[in-house]
Amino acid sequence: MIDEVKKRVKELLDSGEIKGFLGLRDMHGHVGPHLFHEESDLETMVLGDGKRPGDSRYPLNKQLIHLARCYPDDTMGVLVRGCDERGLKTLATWNQINSGKVISVGIPCPQELARACECLRPYPDDFVGGEKVEGCAHGSVRQVDDMDLAARFDHWMKEFEKCIKCYGCRDICPMCFCKECSLESNELIRTGEIPPEMPVFHLTRAVHMAGRCIDCGLCNEACPADIPLRTLYKKVADIIDEEFHYRPGYVADQKSPLNILSHTGAE
Amino acid sequence: MTNSVAELENSACIFVIGSNTTSSHPLVATRIFRAKQKGAKLIVADPRKIQLALMADTYVRQNLGTDVALINGIMHVILDRGWQDQGFIEERTEGFETVKEKVRSYTPEKVSGITGIPEEDIVKIAEDFGTAQTASIVYCMGITQHVTGVDNVKSLANLAMLTGNVGKESTGVNPLRGQNNVQGACDMGGLPNVYPGYQAVNMLDNQKKFESIWGTDLSDQVGRTVSDMLGGLSDGSLKALYVMGENPMLSDPDTAHVEKALKAAELLVVQDIFFTPTAELAHVVLPGSSFAEKDGTFTNTERRVMRVRKAIEPVGDSRPDWQIIQEISNRLGYSMDYDSPEAILKEIAEVTPSYSGITYERLEGEGLQWPCPDEGHPGTKFLHKDAFARGKGLFHAIDFKPPAESVDANYPFWLTTGRIHVHYHTGTMTRNSPTLHSEVPEGSLEINPGDAGQLGIREGDEVEVSSRRGKIRTKTVLTERVKEGLVFMPFHFVESNANALTNPALDPIAKIPELKVCAVRVEKAA
Repeated sequence: MIDEVKKRVKELLDSGEIKGFLGLRDMHGHVGPHLFHEESDLETMVLGDGKRPGDSRYPLNKQLIHLARCYPDDTMGVLVRGCDERGLKTLATWNQINSGKVISVGIPCPQELARACECLRPYPDDFVGGEKVEGCAHGSVRQVDDMDLAARFDHWMKEFEKCIKCYGCRDICPMCFCKECSLESNELIRTGEIPPEMPVFHLTRAVHMAGRCIDCGLCNEACPADIPLRTLYKKVADIIDEEFHYRPGYVADQKSPLNILSHTGAE
Repeated sequence: MTNSVAELENSACIFVIGSNTTSSHPLVATRIFRAKQKGAKLIVADPRKIQLALMADTYVRQNLGTDVALINGIMHVILDRGWQDQGFIEERTEGFETVKEKVRSYTPEKVSGITGIPEEDIVKIAEDFGTAQTASIVYCMGITQHVTGVDNVKSLANLAMLTGNVGKESTGVNPLRGQNNVQGACDMGGLPNVYPGYQAVNMLDNQKKFESIWGTDLSDQVGRTVSDMLGGLSDGSLKALYVMGENPMLSDPDTAHVEKALKAAELLVVQDIFFTPTAELAHVVLPGSSFAEKDGTFTNTERRVMRVRKAIEPVGDSRPDWQIIQEISNRLGYSMDYDSPEAILKEIAEVTPSYSGITYERLEGEGLQWPCPDEGHPGTKFLHKDAFARGKGLFHAIDFKPPAESVDANYPFWLTTGRIHVHYHTGTMTRNSPTLHSEVPEGSLEINPGDAGQLGIREGDEVEVSSRRGKIRTKTVLTERVKEGLVFMPFHFVESNANALTNPALDPIAKIPELKVCAVRVEKAA
């Protein structure tokens, strides 16, 4: 699949349709984001498969927002999986990127990754190679839902107790773009302690993920305490879907219903 | 660490003592969380009820400086119940009988009296540790920064050998190194008694080897420890001090004494990336460069040598440390002409047997763990597999000795110090970070609400804390993390400098000061 991606990127660069392509490269045995702008660069491009498929992903959209702010007139290409594409669509509705200035190059995720992610839609609308696989249900959510209320509360409090307040979940999140973050506000959540105030720290973040989380799971992967954040945010997403029939990024230009309910728009 | 960080994940029992792991070594804590998830027993012994205590199977808060008694007590119960690994003791160790004899008198009842730990908890720890398939010990400065620091570490080694928990995967005696490269600095002979690779300076063969490689005469005398250097400045036997990346004005005990010593120096040179309180006293300040501005290697707590790569050019007039040292050496008349950190690593490999097989090429990816004696060697995950460095592991029979200073009517509170999660050491770097600063902008004194009530102190009140060495002001945090009679201060903050209070009494062997125990008075500030 990497060859198809490289071929497509080369076409886009050669034709001048994009100024650069935001993807991943392997350097010194480590995978990291890279802005490709020359053909010779493309040799080092990878798709982020380390020991397992997709275990070295990256919040490329987060870099893309940054690039777009620095180079507002240029069109950039970006590597997307299903979740990343949902991210692009949602970020456009939040006015964080101009979709006219982004050309995505899509790849579908293999079954193993889709299953590990419990991803409902493990492929973008268009992709340059490979085959799409079926989505997988949110089994982890059902497992927690099957507990009675007391056990569920206990389960989450035990998880939150491990939090070292590194902000890794927020910092890696491609959908966290606010200039001021509620999690840092001493008025809302007492600062300076670990574990951070329980459960309000994690519930505050979960509430902010409602109508916004595109279920990429990077928070879960980044968490040094192995807190199953993805399960928490999947549950939040399921509630929004049940109540408002909305999942972020499934339909282009569709705004979050919480956006409409809010008095002030964003935040 | 005798073993590797990732091995903790598969340990059946982890005994954490004197380490606030989630605050100071969070990625080691990750492995402890995972072990727990897999069903491992977690034992935490710490005078403060730290975050890890919340998830421990057994949490005990020992009185300050009573670790030897606790460990002897655990060994007493293990021997009493026959949980020791007799096979390992016979094949791999010597001196067992002396320890057996010594710990006979350390009954749970006696140990409970010394440590303040309930007898049944001592028995529970002995059972969990002694009967586990694999058991790991994790410790940090809470064990070493005592006048009995060496005794404490030897006692932990006794416990590991007694139960056969060394030289095997997911076991071991695992000190967590405080800095990213403190292991590397020690490996390179940044100690008064050894050349790179822990080759003793007072052995003639080593002296000759390094004289021939470096083409100069070398001393056969052991040098001075940090505390001896400060003493030397005070008594005039040492004239000049060159401090690199260290801030003794905050990190060393009894700041008033440190300041006097540093001011006595005829020449004080400080090399750092920020202008520290120590640099303020310097005659010459040399701007070093940060990790992001230089190439080279770091060796981490699990003996893993890893590349660090320059991301940006050094800012301003700063230079990488190796260039500064080389330039000074050249001007002092000993010629050095390394053209890169890689050239230095080549020499390291040449003179250091445990680094012989390490090259830049082989460090791509995840790095290599020493010993790595040749270029075909894959590196060493855990130490002492078939034998110890000296052959058989030597037990040491050790008696409990109380801390150097005790509470009394004038100084009725025990003070211990440590780090908090957002700050690092003397805050030279972290207090320059706006986000970390806003999380915890100032120091504080943790005090039990019961004690605070007695003193008429409320949360956030300004207090004066004094010891026999100094007096500081700070604000209070009322918390059950500390029991009555114990107070805690982080040592990151120059404006409420905990080390103005701490005791410079030294361990007789390692010369490490007793930073973790002293007696103080707490009063509401006027």
